[in-house]
Amino acid sequence: MKKITLVSLSIIAFLSFSCEAQVKPNDIVIKDEVKNYTLETVATDIAIPWGMTWLPDGTMLVTEKSGVLYHIKNGSKTEIKNVPKVYSRGQGGLLDIILHPDYAKNGWIYITYASEEGEGTGGNTKLIRAKLVDGSLTQIESLYKATPNTTKGQHFGSRIVFDNDGYLYFSVGDRGEHFVNPQDIKRDGGKIYRLNDDGSIPKDNPFVGLAGAKEAIYTYGNRNPQGMAKNPVTGAIWTHEHGPQGGDEINIIKKGVNYGWPVVTYGINYIGTIISEETEKPGIENPIYYWTPSIAPSGMTFVTSDKYPEWNGHLLLGSLKFEYLELVKLKGNEVIGRQKISTDIGRVRNVAQGPDGYIYMGIDGKGIVKIIPN
Amino acid sequence: MLTTKLFLGFGVFLLGCFLFEFPFSTDNYIDLNAETPVVSKIQSPGKEIYADFCIQCHGANGKGDAKNFPPLASSDWLTTKRTQSIAAVKFGQSGEIFVNKIKYNSSMPAMGLSNQEVADVMNYIMTSWGNKQTKIVTEKEVAAIKK
Repeated sequence: MKKITLVSLSIIAFLSFSCEAQVKPNDIVIKDEVKNYTLETVATDIAIPWGMTWLPDGTMLVTEKSGVLYHIKNGSKTEIKNVPKVYSRGQGGLLDIILHPDYAKNGWIYITYASEEGEGTGGNTKLIRAKLVDGSLTQIESLYKATPNTTKGQHFGSRIVFDNDGYLYFSVGDRGEHFVNPQDIKRDGGKIYRLNDDGSIPKDNPFVGLAGAKEAIYTYGNRNPQGMAKNPVTGAIWTHEHGPQGGDEINIIKKGVNYGWPVVTYGINYIGTIISEETEKPGIENPIYYWTPSIAPSGMTFVTSDKYPEWNGHLLLGSLKFEYLELVKLKGNEVIGRQKISTDIGRVRNVAQGPDGYIYMGIDGKGIVKIIPN
Repeated sequence: MLTTKLFLGFGVFLLGCFLFEFPFSTDNYIDLNAETPVVSKIQSPGKEIYADFCIQCHGANGKGDAKNFPPLASSDWLTTKRTQSIAAVKFGQSGEIFVNKIKYNSSMPAMGLSNQEVADVMNYIMTSWGNKQTKIVTEKEVAAIKK
């Protein structure tokens, strides 16, 4: 009796596996969550909480895409003054925010936003640094402004991360011009950039000295990376990026590498047309993982906190489309499992581990919530 | 006994296969408007704006996803709430709404479009996918709508 059950079960398992393979080969099915936590509200009424970081006193800075920078202390929000005017259109606006790794000494805060600065109508992604004095941004320095300005609403990037050597990485999406920008290193857009903390270009950047090249470029062929984090074990910079309906990717950022957009992709256009028949090509780096259909990933953090024993050592990222937080289980650089967290919470714009070891999420239309394990 | 179990197993497999092959979002993948090749010049300004700002969520066929993103094709909200529809595109929309008797409670940010662009995209939406709006949305009408 038991044996029969086992046999029929294994047949089901085998058949369902081969059936799933028609959708996407070697996929890892996302597991439903086992809810062993509660959610605590940290801040409410934030339309799109794009970026978040913590000051040394434990209070938070949160960007709201339309152009407001909030200081959050004991659940109340105060608007930081003198925030640069942002180009709020489509996916553009006030974007990411992080502190310098040596913030306690130098006080630098790094911010990305969509800016109309420079020639032409429209906007493009800009990186600045500034100091926060008496609730106001001061000593604002321009570090990078992508060109050209365009009224296109898509793909501004633009997460910011520092690596262990003090280099700053940030992303700019393809700005809706996928046949023009991502494969051309003489143009901005569809790139990951690497700079020194003062905005100067590191001499060993891959395209330094190449005629006409944008020397700040570190990788190219990226579509729209809106998640970036430093792997705490290897020190490598990891990103994820949105694919078109399908083919969202996780990539490990390596110097001078082409990540393929739009020459190769697992995704298809929104009007159903093919962008590329190919998913692999010599000279193009494959993602370490991809999603089809798209989950629309946003925000990314590695869990290093012992508050979540089952999540520790793995990766968290938000799904805007399916409205959950996804735990991506890792074995080294390999993805070995996926699990849903906070199912149906809303559009998860951002996720980060706070200095207190807790995981915080930015949820569109809601605000900031904190995950408290039972 | 074995036959029953196998039968049951096969049934579960078929069900699984069906779900995998026809997920609810499949609609987004079907191009109902197949005459548009990717390189062709987009004719109407409203169509171009739709492809830039709206298509990611509401889909090429205007059907939305029946969960978070309401349909624009054959939407009763669009036909009975003209002013609110224009306001939603102009200022964004959040909170509970009912479209074709289905509840939606997501949020759509303001896209930062000019009044003329709002008019263009509304006219495109209101005359696409079987929608037959006859009264054209003008820049003036959009400008008059306040938050």
